[in-house]
Amino acid sequence: MKKLLIGLSVLFVLFLTACSGTESASGTTEDGKTEIIFWHAMGGELEASVNEIVDNYNKSQDKYTVKPVYQGSYEESLTKLKTVAGTEDAPAVTQIFEAGTKQMIDSGNVQPVQKFIDEENYDTSQWEENISSYYQVDGEQYSMPFNSSTPVLVYNKDAFEKAGLDPENAPRTYSELKDAAEKLTIKEGDQTSQYGLSILNYGWFFEELLATQGGMYVDNENGRSGEATKAAFNDEKGQKVFELISDMHEAGTFYNVGQTWDDMRAAFQSETITMMLDSSAGVKGLVDNADFEVGVAYLPHPDGVDPQGVVIGGASLWMAKDISEKQEQASWDFMKYLSTPEVQAKWHVESGYFAINPAAYKEDLVKQEWEEYPQLKVTVDQLHDTVSSPATQGALISIFPEARQQIVTGMESLYQGTDPKEALDKAAAEVDTVLEKGSRSR
Amino acid sequence: MNAARELQSVPAEEQQPSKSRFAFLEGWLYLLPSIVLFGVFVFYPMFRTIYLSFFLADQIGPFEFAGLENYHYILSSDSFQSSIKATVLFVLFTVPATIILALFLALLTSEKIMGIGIFRTFFSSTMGMSVAASSVIWMFMYNPSIGVFSKVAEWLGLPVIQWLQNPDYALLAVSLSTIWMSTGFAYLIILGGLQNIDPHLYENARVAGVSYFYQLRRITLPMLSPTLFFIVTVSFINAFQTFGQIDILTKGGPVESTNVIVYSIYKDAFINNDVGSASAQAVILFFCVLALTVLQFKLGERKVHYQ
Repeated sequence: MKKLLIGLSVLFVLFLTACSGTESASGTTEDGKTEIIFWHAMGGELEASVNEIVDNYNKSQDKYTVKPVYQGSYEESLTKLKTVAGTEDAPAVTQIFEAGTKQMIDSGNVQPVQKFIDEENYDTSQWEENISSYYQVDGEQYSMPFNSSTPVLVYNKDAFEKAGLDPENAPRTYSELKDAAEKLTIKEGDQTSQYGLSILNYGWFFEELLATQGGMYVDNENGRSGEATKAAFNDEKGQKVFELISDMHEAGTFYNVGQTWDDMRAAFQSETITMMLDSSAGVKGLVDNADFEVGVAYLPHPDGVDPQGVVIGGASLWMAKDISEKQEQASWDFMKYLSTPEVQAKWHVESGYFAINPAAYKEDLVKQEWEEYPQLKVTVDQLHDTVSSPATQGALISIFPEARQQIVTGMESLYQGTDPKEALDKAAAEVDTVLEKGSRSR
Repeated sequence: MNAARELQSVPAEEQQPSKSRFAFLEGWLYLLPSIVLFGVFVFYPMFRTIYLSFFLADQIGPFEFAGLENYHYILSSDSFQSSIKATVLFVLFTVPATIILALFLALLTSEKIMGIGIFRTFFSSTMGMSVAASSVIWMFMYNPSIGVFSKVAEWLGLPVIQWLQNPDYALLAVSLSTIWMSTGFAYLIILGGLQNIDPHLYENARVAGVSYFYQLRRITLPMLSPTLFFIVTVSFINAFQTFGQIDILTKGGPVESTNVIVYSIYKDAFINNDVGSASAQAVILFFCVLALTVLQFKLGERKVHYQ
């Protein structure tokens, strides 16, 4: 019995040490190829697409092997990366969402791709400038853009026709939007069976509606001319966005869909709402699943404002620092492969994300797709019409996740009748506190 | 005489220390697995949390000593106060309802009747479902545009309620789904307790001809009190630590109405990268749960009748 117990204890200790034993995350495979690990956050159908692209890459050459690993949502994979960054277990290439850019730079565990661009005079002008500029800080390209999307106004063309609106002419300004929503709302007694507009309670949409007016999210030119110290979104421009939501909600033409993308899309598919803001990457799925004609238009803006375009959303690929030279080369080679027109064409068609290499739009694959889904072209046009400025480059702050929560809480309080200015000022005050706290971090 | 005592005592003294030392070591050996497990997974994280709560820290580790600043910041923030309110309300909504419902179901099914196994399986089946899976099901049911609840409300001509988007209803909606999820476990424990009550007591009661409620009050509940005490304590702790359904159903929203403390800890630690503040909240939660459990043992256990 005693022997058995001792044996068990020994086994237990062995088990514990086995748990902490680590396998080198990136190394060399048996056949002499350099292996790198690639973490990404593309779930569902997109994961299949990513895996296929990686497979094709592995087959296309015989020096490197890339191993893709799905790590959950953007937020989750960023959290995981932060815990392993700088250690042997860190992946060589990681996909990080736009809001994590500043955190990545500050972490000091990244190798800017600018080094390789300079080394071999790689021509970055083939990249979409409006996309790659988001990931450029102080003239240095930190990461390689990979999947990018922008917000668009999605609407139900059939409902437009029924309401006597022109389905080919979507509202552009806030007053047109309010008018259209008024006509689209159907009330029976005190029950509303169809609403005009929905905006998801998600900070990204507020950022976009602000940027298209040329508004800044934080001070110091959105944190690009110096460290951001204060929120700037509670100015007139931000208030216009909150007032729009508040006014329309009061008028009964705005429907609160909560914070879940799928809930919003379900409400659109079931014709509870007729217009909504959605990501350009979701457009294809919406067109496929809707029983009605889906229209796509540019993001609306307040009256009398010259629209500046949109901030790029989505994610980019980051290279880890302190990996072997072979792995660096492998990572760079893989990134270059990803930005070729052929791969980008496939990616654009399968995912609905933009091609970061505009040459992809000339590929036959894309041309065919655009004939079938003309809506996709609208999203690309909107991106091309964007004026590159600090406003549309987006804010560069490390506390984005928390700032977004504050905006969401502010949006939610609007539905409870809170004054738009008050809600916005409260969010700004919270963001100021967090910025101050964040500035003390390393 | 003296010599004789010495002769006797010498071997005894020589033997005892080594024997007791061996017994001592052997005792430790038996304890080793649980000490290692507890040490690695409970005590180390606990002390580390307390340590971190006095620092400004991110996910990599502490970087600046902050003293009580984290505590000060938390206790003066509106957001933490609404977290406490949400947590207390959540506990009050879920724990009594779960236990009363489970007790009711267990009393119904404690009789040995044909086919009772089917009902017992039904009533305890929610225990076999993961929080994540059940939450997703409830999320679909609550969905205002395609969910069952709004369809039924429409059919009955009642106003459609946005259960999860309206701060007045969100906590109630999450509580309702939690009651459904946790009833299975409570039911199973209470049923087990009921089965353990000595049948002679009921026989005596039948001979004495007392009413069902008298029997329930004087025999069933007192004999069941250790089980009830256990399930009350466990349910309280579980309710304080609820996370999964909040994360899936509401993410702490709308307007922080369902932002219970554990969810707020998660948000600070893993989304906002503010491990110091999260640790301080965890420490506060720990002492609240500890105080409550001690109180329960002090007040509740007096009424518990151990056989």
